[in-house]
Amino acid sequence: MAIHVAQMSVILNRTGAVARRVLQQLVRDRRFLALSIAAPLLVIYLLKVFLGTMESPFVDATPYAVPIGAFIVHFITYVLCAIVLVRERSAQTLQRMFVNGYRRSEIISGYVLAYSALATLQSLLVLWELNALFALSYPVRTLLSIYIVIWLLAVVSISLGICVSNFARNEGQVFPLIPLVILPSVFLSGVIIPVGQLPTWAQWLSRVIPLYYANNLLQGLVRPGAALSDDVRGLASLVVYGIVVLALATLTLREAD
Amino acid sequence: MELGVVVATDVHKRYKQVSALAGINLVVERGEIFGVLGPNGAGKTTLIKALVGSSRPNSGSVRVLGLDPRGAPAAVRRQIGYMPQAPALYEDLSPRHNLRFFGRAHGVETLEKRIDDTLDLIGLRARENDAVYGFSGGMKQRLSLACALLHEPKVLFLDEPTAGVDPKLREVFWQHFRDLASRGVTLLVSTHQMDEALLCHRLAILRAGRVLVSETPAELLRRGQSRVRVWRGEQFEETTMLDYRDQLPRLLQRSGLDPAVRRIEVEHDSLDTIVLSLINASEQESVRRRDGDTRRADVSHP
Repeated sequence: MAIHVAQMSVILNRTGAVARRVLQQLVRDRRFLALSIAAPLLVIYLLKVFLGTMESPFVDATPYAVPIGAFIVHFITYVLCAIVLVRERSAQTLQRMFVNGYRRSEIISGYVLAYSALATLQSLLVLWELNALFALSYPVRTLLSIYIVIWLLAVVSISLGICVSNFARNEGQVFPLIPLVILPSVFLSGVIIPVGQLPTWAQWLSRVIPLYYANNLLQGLVRPGAALSDDVRGLASLVVYGIVVLALATLTLREAD
Repeated sequence: MELGVVVATDVHKRYKQVSALAGINLVVERGEIFGVLGPNGAGKTTLIKALVGSSRPNSGSVRVLGLDPRGAPAAVRRQIGYMPQAPALYEDLSPRHNLRFFGRAHGVETLEKRIDDTLDLIGLRARENDAVYGFSGGMKQRLSLACALLHEPKVLFLDEPTAGVDPKLREVFWQHFRDLASRGVTLLVSTHQMDEALLCHRLAILRAGRVLVSETPAELLRRGQSRVRVWRGEQFEETTMLDYRDQLPRLLQRSGLDPAVRRIEVEHDSLDTIVLSLINASEQESVRRRDGDTRRADVSHP
């Protein structure tokens, strides 16, 4: 028992060391930090301009605002994280981490922890901007539920980005993998067209898209009187999806040639 | 009980069609500085990667401190230090941040004190909080070495540790390597520098993923030829010898006490020349074997 506690303490220390180091890099790279926070805010402002032109007495574009806002967070977080481990691999620091005793699970968890701090801030600012620009007028409880879903989606996007970066040997190979994940999200997640209207095979395909689960939850939440507890299964699906991607990211991280 | 701190037995590693290691055998003893010499592409880096568990050999066995680096990675990694060929540092962070990060992996006690001592050793104390990306190549190499040394490993694997390092600092590095070896640390060092190779206790010459020879520098030097010139007036007589230490006295006995002998010059092959001739001989042997195989194939398929 004492050995297990000691082992757990070593694992937590090493995970913490990875997270701290990644956070230090984020803090030192002011331009990256500023861009990763400013980019979604700017895009959401453009979304407001775009949806504003669509609005008429017969068309209410506001219900699209939150799911599209979530998509923007998903897209930007995923893209930022898709490159991180490739960068470590090409600089040979990944190899050095392994030889120094860091384990795959510690490296992945450390990265997810550090980027989750960024995602927490990013999701909060995005929701604040959505609320201000679209005058959402949702109760605080609903806003908090929306925040939890956007935050969860951001954390899932971090894991997905890291997982994808495991399949690229260099930065150049990451770029084709970005649209491969993002473009199907636009068409198949239900943000633009309800998933039920898609062919059956495409409906099945939509199940592998994280935005599908987040969008289902958000569509439910923007209905009057809705609460996150109404769709526990949907929430659990997003959490399980995140755990599966995290496990995949850990298993696919190559330790040796 | 297996002999040797580092043991590689018939290690093969292929990358698609390229054979990077083609049956490597070597044994490194405790407290030894073992040099690995060879041209580019000889397999030096792949060998070191296989020994530290960063590369999975296709066949053969690797043992470090009696353990398999792939089978018992945690136990091996606690006891080894590795300096890759590229500095492999977080260049947006400071030397202290880098050292702290790699030190934490090993749970080094009194980490900050160790970092202070290591920064003093590599002469980067004054720049300890500056971002590494502004450093010169030599400074990065120093920091990279420090990251490998911080946890006081029993075995050090250094892949061209002095590449881009000026001669003065190189001397400091090697003095430290000798100190470590005298304290029982085992070092496996790949290098291109022949003057460094002479400082190793033993050397393995690699070509095309094979160890051509594994000997002490003195034994290697004995493989060279000596040219002895005996000058009489303005004329000289040149004799080539395999081992001038044994053969020169006989030559002098033949000359007797000839008063016309005014000068004797002995020119021995340098380690550079000996290593090159070993590599060239191995290349010629490979070509001969390949030609022989092609001819045999032509005969059997007319």
